[in-house]
Amino acid sequence: MMPKLSRLDAALNSTYRYCGFAAAFCMVLIALLVCLSIGSRLASVYIPGLTEYSGYTMAAASFLALAYTFHEGGHIRVEILISRLTPKWRRFAEFWCLGVAAFTSVFLAYYIARLAYFSWKFEERSEGADAVLLWKPQLVAVLGAVLLAIAVVHSLVKCIFDKNFQPRR
Amino acid sequence: MDEIAFTFIFLFFLFLFLGTGIWVAISLIGVAAIGMMLFTSRPIGDAMATTIWGASSSWTLTALPLFIWMGEILFRTKLSENLFRGLTPITKKLPGGLLHVNIAGCTIFAAISGSSAATVATVGKMSIPELRERKYPEKMIIGTLAGAGTLGLLIPPSISLIIYGITVNESIAQLFVAGILPGIMLACLFMGYVSIWGLISGTREKKSTAHDQSRFKDVIQLIPVLILICAVMGSIYTGIATATEAAVLGVVGALFLSAVQGSLTWDSFLESLLGATRTSAMIAFILAGSTFLSLAMGFTGLPRSLAEWIGSLELTPWILIFALMIFYIVLGCFLDGISSIVLTMAVIEPLVRQAGFDMIWFGVFLMIVVEMAQITPPIGFNLFVLQSMSDNDMAFIARAAVPMFLIMILAVVIISLFPEIATYLPDAMRERSS
Repeated sequence: MMPKLSRLDAALNSTYRYCGFAAAFCMVLIALLVCLSIGSRLASVYIPGLTEYSGYTMAAASFLALAYTFHEGGHIRVEILISRLTPKWRRFAEFWCLGVAAFTSVFLAYYIARLAYFSWKFEERSEGADAVLLWKPQLVAVLGAVLLAIAVVHSLVKCIFDKNFQPRR
Repeated sequence: MDEIAFTFIFLFFLFLFLGTGIWVAISLIGVAAIGMMLFTSRPIGDAMATTIWGASSSWTLTALPLFIWMGEILFRTKLSENLFRGLTPITKKLPGGLLHVNIAGCTIFAAISGSSAATVATVGKMSIPELRERKYPEKMIIGTLAGAGTLGLLIPPSISLIIYGITVNESIAQLFVAGILPGIMLACLFMGYVSIWGLISGTREKKSTAHDQSRFKDVIQLIPVLILICAVMGSIYTGIATATEAAVLGVVGALFLSAVQGSLTWDSFLESLLGATRTSAMIAFILAGSTFLSLAMGFTGLPRSLAEWIGSLELTPWILIFALMIFYIVLGCFLDGISSIVLTMAVIEPLVRQAGFDMIWFGVFLMIVVEMAQITPPIGFNLFVLQSMSDNDMAFIARAAVPMFLIMILAVVIISLFPEIATYLPDAMRERSS
């Protein structure tokens, strides 16, 4: 059973990384979109919805990187109290933190998915000049939020079974 | 009666979540959900999803990752070497000698990076060993670095100013422009302190050091960076570019600089990009969480009643400013700068607006106060960075930073007496565009 689990572990870790890369690609895309808006303004050409697209790309960059950042220990937390605990109590504290985080992130993922589902069902469109169907950009956010929930639960499971596990900082 | 009890429960969970080490963004979302549960019967999850989606897909956010990226690129260049070598010939004649390099270096790096930790790390990497070798007192080396490093928050581009601007809906361009003069003023105050200290203790740079040859060439090396700074800030000030567009200009310029220096490799490019992706995701998640918390706070009625209560006290502006300063310094003992800004703004913003403060001015005030929190123990990001860089213990670094802390209080007093220092440039900018 163990090799299977460790393969799952590795597969998840690389999924977070690849989504991190995708987020990084979105960052480059934001820069290019802004360049495009400067260029089109200089050429006095109007491209509708550019600002909205930048916004969606921004959301994609943030959401896709959530799990990756969590895995790399990039999300900040207040460590002043828990860093003073003995290892035994520290593990207990990490268990509590990951438990709350797991609950919250699953809750978040569920409702972001629900938001996208209703946008799809009622064919909601953006109010901007782009008039894009909102579920499309929201789908990326769903992917990111679900992956964050998986990453947090992944860490929680590790924390339960592995005595020496600590979230990376 | 229930309201008060609920408010206490709400605040209890806020402190519990943050204090026990739950990730800040997650804490904000969790506490906001609890708050909504207590105070309204609205659907919590749907309100959360709508708010978080709205906050994360906003166009105004895009300046954030780009400025972070710009700093990350320049952080990986030979800039820290260039800063030290280029500033040495300029500052060595001053009383206090090369300690000025710490301050001038931090000021310049702050103008290309929005983070004070990165500023301390970049400048200190080179200056700590060099200054130690020249037998400057450790206390002054560390103290000046700790103090001047905080300029990263005040001098644009500043990540904290962007966050403040987004949270209170003020123009980021104007906030950036407002930060320029107070930032220069604070740098001058630091340098004045070093000069006075140098005169009293008789410390100057001794002649004939290794860097004396080819000093002209070294100073020249600073010029590209200065041009980049002027281009980015100039394009914002003249209204040619929005903050986001200036940020792209900064990224392109930074890539160009690092290519010319030969430090741009595929690896360093990828590293800078991934580093920026992580930092930006972390901040965007906190911002999204704090928007949801603001919504929940609105239902609690806490901000309004606090604003009314403070209003009913009829405090003079001075007392209010003083109280807010103490409040943020205490808060900064436990929270980092970004968290203390987003966490408090929902409550503080109505209060400050009601008291009739200019929100741009308040942004500058807030930056200086949050900067002070960066060098107060037990939690101060600059202290952590310096601790790992210099192998001194926290207490020593904190003590070394005390004079800088006092200078910052002086700076708060000055910008309160003369608010024009912060508001003159943005006002001029507004008039020109209208």
